[in-house]
Amino acid sequence: MDVSASFRRVLPVALCAGALLAGCSEQRGSGPRGSSGVVLTYWPAPNPQEILLADSLVRVWNRLHPEIRVEMQPIPVSISTEEVLLAAIAGKTTPDVCSNIWPGALHDYTQAGGLVRLDAFPDFDSVMSLRTPRELLERFRVADGHFYEVPWKTNPLMMFYNRRLFREAGVEGVPSTYGGYLAAGEKVVTHRYEGGTADVWMGDRDVRPIWWQRLFDFYPFYIAASGGRTLLTAGRPSFGDSSAAGVFAFFRECYGRKYFPRTYFQGGDPFLLEKKATHFSGPWEVAAIRKFAPQMDFGVAPVPVPDDHRGPVFTYGDYKDISIFSTTTHPMEAWEFVKFLVSAEHDLLLLRICDQIPVRGDLLENPLFAGYFRENPAMTEFARQAVYTRGMDDAPDLKEIFDAIAQEYESCAVYGRVGPSEAIREAVGRTNLIVEWNR
Amino acid sequence: MTGLNQILQRARRSDRGAYWFILPYVIFFCAFVAYPLVFSLILVFHRWNIVTPMEWIGLKNFDRLIGDVLFYRSLLNTLTFLAIHIPLQVVVALALALLLNAGVRGRGLFRALYFLPVVVSGVAVTILWQQIYSYDYGILNNILHAAGLPPVPWLVDPRLAMPSIAIMATWKNVGIYIVLFLVGLQNIPRDLYEAANLDGASPFKQFRYVTLPMLNPTIVVIVVLSTIGGFSLFIEPYVLTGGGPMQSTLSGMLYIYNQAFSFGHMGYAATLGFVYALVILGVVVLQRRVIESEMSS
Repeated sequence: MDVSASFRRVLPVALCAGALLAGCSEQRGSGPRGSSGVVLTYWPAPNPQEILLADSLVRVWNRLHPEIRVEMQPIPVSISTEEVLLAAIAGKTTPDVCSNIWPGALHDYTQAGGLVRLDAFPDFDSVMSLRTPRELLERFRVADGHFYEVPWKTNPLMMFYNRRLFREAGVEGVPSTYGGYLAAGEKVVTHRYEGGTADVWMGDRDVRPIWWQRLFDFYPFYIAASGGRTLLTAGRPSFGDSSAAGVFAFFRECYGRKYFPRTYFQGGDPFLLEKKATHFSGPWEVAAIRKFAPQMDFGVAPVPVPDDHRGPVFTYGDYKDISIFSTTTHPMEAWEFVKFLVSAEHDLLLLRICDQIPVRGDLLENPLFAGYFRENPAMTEFARQAVYTRGMDDAPDLKEIFDAIAQEYESCAVYGRVGPSEAIREAVGRTNLIVEWNR
Repeated sequence: MTGLNQILQRARRSDRGAYWFILPYVIFFCAFVAYPLVFSLILVFHRWNIVTPMEWIGLKNFDRLIGDVLFYRSLLNTLTFLAIHIPLQVVVALALALLLNAGVRGRGLFRALYFLPVVVSGVAVTILWQQIYSYDYGILNNILHAAGLPPVPWLVDPRLAMPSIAIMATWKNVGIYIVLFLVGLQNIPRDLYEAANLDGASPFKQFRYVTLPMLNPTIVVIVVLSTIGGFSLFIEPYVLTGGGPMQSTLSGMLYIYNQAFSFGHMGYAATLGFVYALVILGVVVLQRRVIESEMSS
């Protein structure tokens, strides 16, 4: 059999089929499609509430703007949105607009030239000044002096508490300091190992040394204890102070006195199951309680601070923002869509559907939102707290720095092997090394 | 050049049609083995986070590796895992293979049951063991509690976490090694046992002086495969412990993964990968020599 002759006959067919298949798979969102005008792709976060919100908004937009069609596609599910977006930037498959941009990853995106400069649009300042207070907006300016994201929503980390469990344990008032929290823990926790399990915990945190878990314990507590400071100053670690050591010492007491379990839970949120009295979380928890534990009598308060703390209590804002990717061929149309997403009416929709706080200065004054906050008093606490929030530093090493903190948090707070001051010294030392390695 | 010319001449003389048959594998090899290998080697001398252009940094990644305590920690953890996992794997697989080879009833069913974990997804198995090992709500600690014993911190004590993972990995992989041992056992000529019987050898002596030496090649294969598999330890610590407690389960592969995909240090991760490849090669060669000299003596 003449294999090479057969191959020569088959090769053109195979090449044609390959070209056809390649043509079928190439479906870019940006750019005109036939005669139907501009098509934009929009990636919202892949959780059910935000998909529902995005779907509603896109339907309205497409009805009002038939010449600029928006196609919504939730961000492909992965371990983290940031990995997906980085991969998309590398593969030049980014959407035109994305509304799940974590400011901590912005440095990577801008360094890669992946984002459109938003302050290059002539009406950027006027649009932003109507929505976000200037002082807050300035925190989103990156090192090159420009804006690449519209601050969209914030999820201030606060303390949820179960009123029934507090009442039954005889806890009066809501603990606002480390001392008050530990005293309440003493009353709440009953370690009756009946059936091998404790009855009720004061709280719990994932004990695994996973960097982003520290965004929900160490980081908000550090921001609160330090009066609103973040981890870095001019790219160098500035958290080697008594506030950070105090946070480690506080959590060390929680684990040491067995108010927190040295494990992590699978198959159910113990706060929703009323198995723990406090929970550090964002406003999305309100919707979860409403859905899975509607009978729960709960309240929301700022995270505990050192006993001698004075002044307002800041916390981590867990911001998620909107950006336009530089792969877009229609930046003006994309900017129009972004402005549509952050209008007051659609911010109300964000509150109603997702129970997340828009980054607006007039949330508690604007009559448009009054009805929502009257119906959802717990959300009013988050709206009040939103003014006292901090985001992330603009640095390329954040994940690694949080990893270093997570390692020390584990050995000091969870297992009590190292003292708080020594652990913070180690974390600062490792952070200095990381910064040196990466520059 | 003469050598190359000889190869080309030989190629020209041979049946050209044969090259079309090996072409698919050559393409596969180039795309998925040779290219990544060469690209990794290039990465070793660069700083690169996938999205920004590569930056030449010479030997800085090696400089970093030499001073990186977490690299040594991950290497030590991996060797600790191997030290527990390999003997356990060999002993358990051999014991079960001997039982299955002895003609117990329902042998086929037992073989299938022991092999089942091998074909189940690693993540699913790990989540199952998470429920078994959980300190406060785990099945094991509930059994201990029912027996009046205190709970054991399987995954939350730095001294116990890696042995717990090694037990789990043994359970997951033992099926495949049982099959290898069964093949080895069935290839031992029966007349060796008959001769040993005639000489009055007890069952233990038959095992010691007939079975074990005849299984020598199988043991070498199993130890080498377990070693290479052990160096790839990733899913178990990634899902179960995240590398904790206190970095006691931070395996080499988990550390490489973190550097590459969590922190975007592709160059440093490639450097770690090459160093680990050399370590694996060294350990396997050493193991083979030790096992062969032990068996021959």
